[in-house]
Amino acid sequence: MKIGLFITMLRKLYFVVIGLLVVNLSVEAGSREQAKRMHDRIAGVPPSASVLNSMEADIALGNAISAAETAMKNPAFYNVTLKNMITPWTNEEQTVFAALNDYTATVIGIVRDDLDFRLILSDDIIYVGDDALGLPAYSNSNNAHYEAMEQNGVDLSTGLVKRDQSLVTGLPVDATAGVMTTRAAAKAFFVAGTNRAMFRFTLLNHFCNDLEQIKDATRPADRIRQDVSRSPGGDSRIFLNACVGCHAGMDPMAQAFAYYEYEYDSENDPDAENGALVYNDVGMIDADTGTRVQKKYHINGNNFKFGYKTPDDRWDNYWRQGPNFLLGWDTNDLDLPEGGNGAKSLGVELANSEAFAVCQVKKVFQTVCLRQPIDTDMTAFGNIVTSFKSNNYNLKQVFAETADHCKGD
Amino acid sequence: MMSRMMFRSAYLFLLALLLIGCDNVPVDQNFVATGSSNRNYTGPEPATADVQSFKTNVWDNLVDKCGACHGTAGQSPTFVQDDDINLAYAQAITVVDLSSPESSRLVTKVAGGHNCWESSTDACAAIMTAFIQNWVGGSEDGQGTKVDLDAPEAKDAGDSKSYPDDSSLFASTVYPLLTTYCAECHAESAQIPQSPYFSGADVDAAYDAIKTSQKIDLDTPANSRLVVRLRSEFHNCWDDCQDNADEMEQAVTNFANGITPTQVDSQLVLSKALNLGDGTIASGGSRHEENVIALYQFKEGEGSTIFDVSGISPSLHLQLSGVEGVDYKWVGGWGVEFLGGKAQGITSASKKLGDFIKASGEYSIEAWVVPANVTQEGPARIISYSAGLADRNLTLGQTLYNYDFLHRSSSTDSNGEPALSTNDDDEDLQATEQHVVVTYDPVNGRGIYVNGVFTDDLDEVEPGNLGDWDDTYALVFGNEVTGDRPWHGKLRMVAIHNRALSPSQIQKNFEAGVGEKFYLLFGVEQVVGVPQSYILFEVSQFDSYSYLFSQPKFISLDLGADPGSFRIAGMRLGINGKEAAIGQAYVSVDTTISSSDFVQSDQFNAKAQTLSELGTIIPLEKGVEADEFFLTFEVLADQTNVYIEPEPLQSAASVSSDSQPEIGLRIFAEVNATMAEITGVATTQADVQNTYETIKQQLPVVESVGGFLSSHQVAISQLAVEYCNALVNDTTLRTGFFPGFDFSKSASTAFDATGKSQVITPLLSKVAGTGLADQPLDADMSGELDALINKLTACGGGCAADRTEVVVKSACAAMLGSAVMLVQ
Repeated sequence: MKIGLFITMLRKLYFVVIGLLVVNLSVEAGSREQAKRMHDRIAGVPPSASVLNSMEADIALGNAISAAETAMKNPAFYNVTLKNMITPWTNEEQTVFAALNDYTATVIGIVRDDLDFRLILSDDIIYVGDDALGLPAYSNSNNAHYEAMEQNGVDLSTGLVKRDQSLVTGLPVDATAGVMTTRAAAKAFFVAGTNRAMFRFTLLNHFCNDLEQIKDATRPADRIRQDVSRSPGGDSRIFLNACVGCHAGMDPMAQAFAYYEYEYDSENDPDAENGALVYNDVGMIDADTGTRVQKKYHINGNNFKFGYKTPDDRWDNYWRQGPNFLLGWDTNDLDLPEGGNGAKSLGVELANSEAFAVCQVKKVFQTVCLRQPIDTDMTAFGNIVTSFKSNNYNLKQVFAETADHCKGD
Repeated sequence: MMSRMMFRSAYLFLLALLLIGCDNVPVDQNFVATGSSNRNYTGPEPATADVQSFKTNVWDNLVDKCGACHGTAGQSPTFVQDDDINLAYAQAITVVDLSSPESSRLVTKVAGGHNCWESSTDACAAIMTAFIQNWVGGSEDGQGTKVDLDAPEAKDAGDSKSYPDDSSLFASTVYPLLTTYCAECHAESAQIPQSPYFSGADVDAAYDAIKTSQKIDLDTPANSRLVVRLRSEFHNCWDDCQDNADEMEQAVTNFANGITPTQVDSQLVLSKALNLGDGTIASGGSRHEENVIALYQFKEGEGSTIFDVSGISPSLHLQLSGVEGVDYKWVGGWGVEFLGGKAQGITSASKKLGDFIKASGEYSIEAWVVPANVTQEGPARIISYSAGLADRNLTLGQTLYNYDFLHRSSSTDSNGEPALSTNDDDEDLQATEQHVVVTYDPVNGRGIYVNGVFTDDLDEVEPGNLGDWDDTYALVFGNEVTGDRPWHGKLRMVAIHNRALSPSQIQKNFEAGVGEKFYLLFGVEQVVGVPQSYILFEVSQFDSYSYLFSQPKFISLDLGADPGSFRIAGMRLGINGKEAAIGQAYVSVDTTISSSDFVQSDQFNAKAQTLSELGTIIPLEKGVEADEFFLTFEVLADQTNVYIEPEPLQSAASVSSDSQPEIGLRIFAEVNATMAEITGVATTQADVQNTYETIKQQLPVVESVGGFLSSHQVAISQLAVEYCNALVNDTTLRTGFFPGFDFSKSASTAFDATGKSQVITPLLSKVAGTGLADQPLDADMSGELDALINKLTACGGGCAADRTEVVVKSACAAMLGSAVMLVQ
């Protein structure tokens, strides 16, 4: 194409139009403008004329939620909006350009099917492409299945099918923990290292807080593993003032992942593209630890030999006390225990916190309103969080109510 | 075992003797060489092997130091009488503790300053301990012995004063005196600065220096080093020392009186209290030191000499060079931090290394190190026996994450190269405290062990021999002898052995740890009722800023004690009247002490039951001398204290009140999907998909309007052109999009008023929508498109045959790539 031929004209038109828009944005939005904005924000694409008319009518009748639900029927809500929102959660670089994968697809499916969003961290669930699509089969050791879906432009509003994760991946049912035990999450957060990444990124993505915001140096230090130096650079003040704040709470919770590993051929596959999640089930003993605990939990044991030597996958939430009490644990009064074994029960613990619910609303708010909430939004924001919880953690409800809030005056 | 030890000790002695005789090994002037006194002894032969060992290791070394008083017919005990070695032995037995050499009266006397022959009483004590240890056969014999624990004096945890966080009280009491009289040296700006810098211009920094250097005793101001230095040591008094000391004491007293003591909570279930010095010193006897020829423990804590306390003559003391606090720094818990300076021995004394090692043909360098970073290279010299940048016998160095072992032999060059280095990928060297051992023997060559474990780095070089070693080189720590390969980090112990330590010996020495350790016995008899019962902790100063507490046990010194059954739960460490805020590791302890588990200890002369295998560090507060420790319990037998943590207050959420833009950009995938939605061209259309995959990372990634760049516009234009190209090239799609427009007409006729309308109207309605007040006015947009079409059709009859399609594509791309599409 003769691109150069058009660039000058395009730029000229662009600036003219921008100027016109700025002028016109001062116009008060009516139902039609609100409908257009809601559709743009929810689906990422403009509505057809008939959809716009329908949404306008709903809004005019005071039923903005119905209008939003109409917008969510557009496949782009799944293929574009949700995919863009979820993809950064699935990789350490937090890039939005990562390929579709089982983590992303599973969250999209859970939203599409109006399931309890808390299940993303604990359920025996995975979404795969419909058999009728003729895709490469789901594989524990590559992402070809989902990349083909993306390449073929599969409509995710119809092409995803819910399956038992345990049946698809072969993990024991008790070892499944929603997206945390998907291949994509394992590739990103169980690869090499010490498995603390899975905990940190779960916090980052589903509590909207990094460890820096949650650190609390006053928690007991008894579960901090041996690999954590108590005198980084020879100065124990660094440990006492900084390291302990995160590790005291993180290590006893990241212990839930003690039986998981992402195995790959580091020689021939340094990017771990063809690795697979492995799990030490009952009776599977790691040669180095002599227990089901993966070797990585005992590495660098001589950094501080009096530190904690992980014996099993028992986790405990030390942050239920202290300043992080305010994260709102067991917010649904389920009488959840403060500890347990394995990733599944940890996922239940995390997903039933107030911080989890608030974080989901915060992410949807950013997606729909294109900004962070400000003080004048907080009443509505709080109402949306309450509604999210009382509507069985249905994320579509959050999209609808948030779009209503940000549809313009 | 004993005989083998003695044989080796005797071997060392004889070896030294031979070397002295043959090779003129220089003798430290302050230290009489082993064997030199042998000429003086003409009495009866030693009656037993043990007497012989005593003579070799103790009598020969002490006869010239102590003989003037404790010799024949001298003051009792006459442990160096020279008429009969067997009688001297009988006397010596009364002043040594063979099971715990460091507790011997011979050691405690010199430690107390009694005729110490070195400038440091700590060095004398260490050397005397080494003499006795060598006598009893070093570590191996100590293995089977149990530690006798001394019952500490029972005292209650008292109210305690702690340094306030704020420096204002210090600024108004002590600081004025310091800045007036001490700033010529103890300030960073001084001509020759002397640490600690408690007189500097920044009062906060000065206060921090006072706290970390522990120069003030808040509980007993007269014992403050600031006062003692003036009163007893006459250190740079500015007038009359007594008056100056009184003035300083008054200032410290004013400071201390201004601090409200921390009250011990009466609700707590408490143990008795202890200071570190109340503990039983943990014996270092579990180390393998049978073949040590030079040993540095850094116990001195001050001064410019690091003493060789191996007890093997000649003493290879090292001289620190540079300014303390600038080039090097003594650190708490025994150690020296090198900041660019070095510690070097004289070449004549260093020669003993070459002599002993060449004789044995093998050696090990063992050190507890704390590299300050993982960025230094050179290799940065940690320990070196060398003459300069290109000449050495051996060097332990650091390059980034690697330890380097340079070793001169017949198969390496005079610089010890090729070096044996740890593997880059393993990152064996870390910027934390590590035990590192390098070994050489003529069979296995070189080896490197970190934290007791072989690093798996095999020596590619044939072992060779040590015939080329140069005995004119000097031992140096922290730098090259030339001073231009500095290593930044701490050394906490260095031992040079003239044997290649075996892996098990290395592991054993690693397990023994480093630094002075105490067994602290926290009395709990008053609560649990078990006679002489305590909670025992192994405690040491971890570094300048913290204590290490580890492996608590419930014990009784009464071997007949029967505890019955009771519970210990929720144990916390207390310091200076309060529970430590950071580092509690025994809160989860919940153990039932029972007669069946409370058994005779393998380690101590006591009955014991382990409470935890964990260790933890807690912050040092007032200093090793002043900090007082105690334990608290949630449950201790029948006493309980329910620990309720206060519920934190919900602070107001920090939310911005700044208004933010209501509009934003469509991001990359949204742009793609939007163009597909508007044109009807599938995102999977080959040209479109290829272009999108190529340019998608050039499209907007965030919605913020403020983040829009010209490169985004170029990419949007590119994609718009691709979509419009696909649209117009597809006759079905274009007919649906531009109904009625005749693409077969030439450009000069197709774009009459009707033709323009057939192009512009659908573009406006499909891209901008209809009836939307916040979109640009149709007239404005169509005016721009009309002008564009006019320009592109100005060629008239001379236009190319495909110009009609090109014009439509252009109008389409102009509209599709505009802000009307982009802004949401």
